[in-house]
Amino acid sequence: MGEVILAMPGQWAHDYREKADHYTSKIGGLPDWPDLDIPVSGKLLLCDFCGGKLCLVAQIYAPLSMAERSIDERVIYVLGCMKKDCGSNPQSWRVLRLQRCKQDIESKDEPLKAEQPEEESTSVAEDKPTSQSSSVKVCDDEDSDSDIDLDDLAQALEQAATLASNSKKQDGTKHTRKIVEGPVAKKLIDDLTTPVLPCFYIYSQRNSSEGRMDKANFVGGSSISLKEIEKSSGNESEGESWEGEAYEYDKALGADRTYLKFKKQLDAYPEQCFRYSYGGNALFPVANVPKLGACKICGSARRFELQLMPPLLYFLQEASDDSSNFSIDGWTWLTIIIFTCPKNCCSGTCDEKSSNSCRCIVEEEAIVIQDD
Amino acid sequence: MAERGDRGGFGRGFGGRGGGEGGRGRGRGERRGGRRGNKSEEEKWVPVTKLGRLVKSNNITSIEQIYLHSLPVKEHQIIDTLLKGLKDEVMKITPVQKQTRAGQRTRFKAFVVVGDGDGHVGLGVKCAKEVATAIRGAIILAKLSVIPVRRGYWGNKIGLPHTVPCKVTGKCGSVTVRMVPAPRGAGIVAARVPKKVLQFAGIEDVFTSSRGSTKTLGNFVKATFDCLMKTYGFLTPDFWTETRFSNSPYQQYTDLLSKPTTKALLPPTEEPLQAEA
Repeated sequence: MGEVILAMPGQWAHDYREKADHYTSKIGGLPDWPDLDIPVSGKLLLCDFCGGKLCLVAQIYAPLSMAERSIDERVIYVLGCMKKDCGSNPQSWRVLRLQRCKQDIESKDEPLKAEQPEEESTSVAEDKPTSQSSSVKVCDDEDSDSDIDLDDLAQALEQAATLASNSKKQDGTKHTRKIVEGPVAKKLIDDLTTPVLPCFYIYSQRNSSEGRMDKANFVGGSSISLKEIEKSSGNESEGESWEGEAYEYDKALGADRTYLKFKKQLDAYPEQCFRYSYGGNALFPVANVPKLGACKICGSARRFELQLMPPLLYFLQEASDDSSNFSIDGWTWLTIIIFTCPKNCCSGTCDEKSSNSCRCIVEEEAIVIQDD
Repeated sequence: MAERGDRGGFGRGFGGRGGGEGGRGRGRGERRGGRRGNKSEEEKWVPVTKLGRLVKSNNITSIEQIYLHSLPVKEHQIIDTLLKGLKDEVMKITPVQKQTRAGQRTRFKAFVVVGDGDGHVGLGVKCAKEVATAIRGAIILAKLSVIPVRRGYWGNKIGLPHTVPCKVTGKCGSVTVRMVPAPRGAGIVAARVPKKVLQFAGIEDVFTSSRGSTKTLGNFVKATFDCLMKTYGFLTPDFWTETRFSNSPYQQYTDLLSKPTTKALLPPTEEPLQAEA
């Protein structure tokens, strides 16, 4: 439960507006909404502070497997505002959790037929713990068996390729991508008014042991060797003795102990874009943390899910040096910590027994910690 | 991933765990505008703070710009980039003990001083279970604490400044250290331990006097460092002219980069958002 999964940067998207599916995790670009009965309401996509359009910062596919039920269609969207004054205002950030409430197995007239194989693979996954690659195989089989028209075939291929390319080893990744993008070009989303950040995809990595941290700390080398230390300690004789030293916490002029611990975790994996740890502990860079609200629907106290880290800003800034209308220099956050409802409740309109699956969007809470 | 129960499945979501150690060497691929290719883990610095990003992109070229606006330095790579000739030296490693139920637990405390011999000096103290870890950590903390040292003249203003500009005193614990300007050729008149700090700072001549329990050399060294910090805090008649305030680097570069370009921002229209896949 307390394990931390790090998100490392993967490939850049060829075009920042290109369309992926809602099973991909990515940074920047345009949000990939899954098939919705009601499109996402405009209010949710506008900044609370200035009223302008929000841009997608991160889209994270985060399925859950809990004791009672498992939610496989669960995506978290983090939206932010790029205007100058909104960068430091916590009101201009929005986190949406979009999930499908019911497990619809016998849905017939879904326009995106690719979801059907996903359903069946879900039930397979529940029986035995399978790795992602095996569920991908199931998906592929289903694709070939069902009869679909050409548009859906293209979309299904794209989706399968995304899953396949992400789960294969990195040697095979580029190769797979080349094959896929021959016949099927990535579609672009037709939305020119929303601000778009540079887009890149994410692969996940387990947070491994502390052996890494010691190695990572040793950046920039030192001109001191252990022999010199022994020499210098032998030199002092004349009645000098260092007495009365006690343990001292780390302190520097500009950085306090909490921040130094945060930095130590960052130095272990300097490229981490966000840390995911459902129900785990957040890594706070400052000691005082503002208070959390409770979930608006069920009232339970929110729990930590993931936090965005500063290397993400660095990558986005590097990419947006040329050719961008919008600049993210107003963003000076050190980390954005996202808390979600532990019960994964829906907005309450899902009780009808309709043949269509019902998806709900719930707004969650984010704490923005600024870099002073 | 054999555990069930309440856990998030983010890692399961795409299972890209084939990366591992090799993933990092993969590099970021191409992008328009070109970027540096693969670099090994140790050389590449990914800045965390806004100041780090500005330094990495060479918008800030001198450390004096940081001191002018008193910006806190939170990454030691900033100092590495801006001050190239920084030398470091371990002043002392002492064992520090703590009594536990299972005997004594010994840790090592390292005192490291860094400096370029020309007006910049830093002091770092770190406790760790191993000596090497303590030294490494202390070097990083010392780099984070680099301060500018003001030098002045004793008498005639001939040549370069060589001594402290005025009498200053610093205190830590019970130890107070007082530094008094000295004529050229006097050399650093101080005990062995603070002499090292003053040499790294680039002060050539100074008279010192100390008081308190200077046996606690940790406090002695910190008192000297505190004294050096105060050299720029002392208001002398040279500073009586009106200050001309300039923009902090944060504002300077935000304004520059957020200027509206020729492609104007489109006015917000009421078109419905296309949400279909």
